[in-house]
Amino acid sequence: MTAVDHPYPGPEETQLYGPPSGSLADLLERVLDKGIVIAGDIKIDLLDIELLTIRLRLFIASVDTAKKAGIDWWETDPALSSRAARDALAEENARLRARLDALEGSAGETAGAAR
Amino acid sequence: MSGLPAGPAAPALVCAFAVTRTPPDAAALAAATGHEEGGPLRVLRAGGLCLVVQDVPAALFDQEALAERLNRPGDLERCARAHHRGVEAAHGRGPVVPLPMATLYRGDRTAERAVTSREAVLDALLDRLRDRTEWAVKVHAAEHGPDAAAGSGSGAGADTGGRAYLSRASARRRDREDAHGRALAEAEAVDAELRRYAVAAVRHRPQSERLTGRRAPQLLNVAYLVDDAERVRFTRALARIAADGRHPAVEVGVSGPWIPYSFARWDEDPDRTGQGRTDPDRTEQDRTDPDRTGQGARS
Repeated sequence: MTAVDHPYPGPEETQLYGPPSGSLADLLERVLDKGIVIAGDIKIDLLDIELLTIRLRLFIASVDTAKKAGIDWWETDPALSSRAARDALAEENARLRARLDALEGSAGETAGAAR
Repeated sequence: MSGLPAGPAAPALVCAFAVTRTPPDAAALAAATGHEEGGPLRVLRAGGLCLVVQDVPAALFDQEALAERLNRPGDLERCARAHHRGVEAAHGRGPVVPLPMATLYRGDRTAERAVTSREAVLDALLDRLRDRTEWAVKVHAAEHGPDAAAGSGSGAGADTGGRAYLSRASARRRDREDAHGRALAEAEAVDAELRRYAVAAVRHRPQSERLTGRRAPQLLNVAYLVDDAERVRFTRALARIAADGRHPAVEVGVSGPWIPYSFARWDEDPDRTGQGRTDPDRTEQDRTDPDRTGQGARS
């Protein structure tokens, strides 16, 4: 089944259509999405540091709002979400600990066996 | 050309909407409204390119004010729609590179420099987006599929034994998993079919049920960049997918044509943009593919 939100305009139509009503999510996904661009701005030469900082912060603020609306596509992107960054760090930490335990364990075994 | 007084009484910021090569028609620009709180839309020349901008009051668009306003859903929507209007107004003649919402500069000079310092990237993007539009396609699992199948066995089940219960439960789970697997495979098939008519595709993260208001999960949320010359074939392919009944486990919805926001990453590596033309399958969607792993966990 196919639902078309907007009647297809013929090829002769040059006018672009705005979002069909009710697709605010589609619009937000587009105008905010790859707000990653904003994160990108930060490493590139900053002409306007102050305002780019503003952009970054306001993106995060609007992310909270979008999140309330159930839009959560950035959550696993460490560049955009401090939470995701924390999760990634915690995960890596756990992985390293496990690795360390394993190494220590096998080192102990080797030491024991050598004795 | 600024509609705002230059005096210190009303400090303004420059809000940028889009980059173009050809300035939009002056009358069309004058007829369009960007942010209601700001001045008229105007064109800023930046090297060989144009930037469509608007002066907006700093009191409403500085950090605190914006953060507060954008956290109110009504204002967020107004702001997003205003931004989209500004981008559309810029689109009048020739391709545009739409900028993210609330791209703000302290003045014309910094806005110009932001563009001129990236002129090569922007030029490449404008070439890539010319005569192309974006189509948003969402594939959902069909609402009737798995639940109907699961419900059928439970009616006359007089057997109340624990083992029977467990076996019924696991059969239900298997049904659900099978149905989900079928739906995913069909979603991939739909995507593969549509890609034949697209220059490039980007997978967005599937939207949550809370956002879509549907019970069935969204399996795919893809943006396709389609040549104007291919548009009819693309939309026909969509109609065919709907009509031929080969994909009963999914429902396909589409919106468009959009100004190609999803393909206008102006701070992206220019090499990447070039790649998109020759090898669409290896560009954007590869980067977003991890999204699909999230799908599996959802069950």
